[in-house]
Amino acid sequence: MDVFNFLGRTREAKARLEQHRLRLYRIAYAWTHNAALADDLVQETLTKALQKSGQLRDPNAGEAWLYSILSNCYHDHFRRHRVTEEIDNHILTDESTPEKESSEQEIVLKVRAAIAKLSEGQRQVITLVDIQGLSYMEVAQILNVPIGTVMSRLCRARYALKDLLEEIAPKLAAAESKIRRIK
Amino acid sequence: MSTEQKFSDEFLNAFVDDQLSLEERQQVYGCLAKDDALNRQVCELRKMHSLVKLAYEQPPLPPQGLKSLSAGRKLGLGLAAGLALIVGGVAGWFLHQSPAPPPVTVAQATSEARDPTKVLFHVSDGHPEHLRNALDEVEGLMQHYRKAHEKAQVEVVANGDGLSLLLAGISPYAERVRQMQKEYPGLKFVACQNTIDRIQHEVGLTVKLLPGVEVIDSGVAQIMRRQQEGWAYIQV
Repeated sequence: MDVFNFLGRTREAKARLEQHRLRLYRIAYAWTHNAALADDLVQETLTKALQKSGQLRDPNAGEAWLYSILSNCYHDHFRRHRVTEEIDNHILTDESTPEKESSEQEIVLKVRAAIAKLSEGQRQVITLVDIQGLSYMEVAQILNVPIGTVMSRLCRARYALKDLLEEIAPKLAAAESKIRRIK
Repeated sequence: MSTEQKFSDEFLNAFVDDQLSLEERQQVYGCLAKDDALNRQVCELRKMHSLVKLAYEQPPLPPQGLKSLSAGRKLGLGLAAGLALIVGGVAGWFLHQSPAPPPVTVAQATSEARDPTKVLFHVSDGHPEHLRNALDEVEGLMQHYRKAHEKAQVEVVANGDGLSLLLAGISPYAERVRQMQKEYPGLKFVACQNTIDRIQHEVGLTVKLLPGVEVIDSGVAQIMRRQQEGWAYIQV
């Protein structure tokens, strides 16, 4: 009977964790701009989370906890692959896809390319705040840095992004109405 | 006093990200009304925020799709593979006059190889987790056939407690059902009239189904009819 209870609990934990997969993947992709690597990082994150799920006492802290694990997996990966090229030098592989036909998609790709050029710390902060809508306090805990660092990185990231995107300013202006409508 | 002196850049970012107290927000709103430069600055920051969000709303997925922790997706693919084997096996049996061993995951499928694959999912348990697993299985199968460019007719028949999947105002997955109906034209959700009658009689509720859900006389009768017509039957 205990075995069945254990299996049931494991299945529940897996199902709960799976609900976070796409959101984690968005962040992992924004950090790496590599779909296969992002998928691997998320899988590693959820596997670790499943192994440690018994340690989590506050269910409300679950999401921030998962992003902490993701961040650790991300850093571990680049520690293990130090000799490989820097992520900041990545050229986005999807830049020449048919998606480019649409100007909105073109802007999306250019924003991703600009994000890829930010420093690692800035990229992590801006994506956690803007994509995931996490509070500064949560981001500070996830990345294990002071909240002042989160604020300064975010501030510099947004201004750097603005500069990087200025060359496509006319297109951004054209897309602005669409962006507002989405919001 | 200029904007730069009044509010730091970090403070304005915190305003855009809704990280300030009510009093601090009121201060900024008070200045926004009379300071065009501040307005433009806040507008720029909001634009950056929106662009980053927009850029990753639909990130490209790996070609094989996302991995999964649970066996659910693997099971779904396994079922799909099992179905393909059955169809192939049956066709082979007719061609070579030799029996093909049927896999154990589905009851039967006797349609010809070129016909759309026909699968009936039977949902009779109303636990939310069970319903979600059922939808995961169905979606896994639909995605498999879409990727394989194969036609598939799939019916999700809900009866007993499983009817809660299709009840408006009760179903925890109403939006997902709606999206799946929109996404997969070959997919139908079907409710059992007997169960509807029973709920109305025993609980006194007026049953309202989700949009696009079809009603059949009896879930059990529908399952039997479909099996006689050669549909694969999967209880989830």
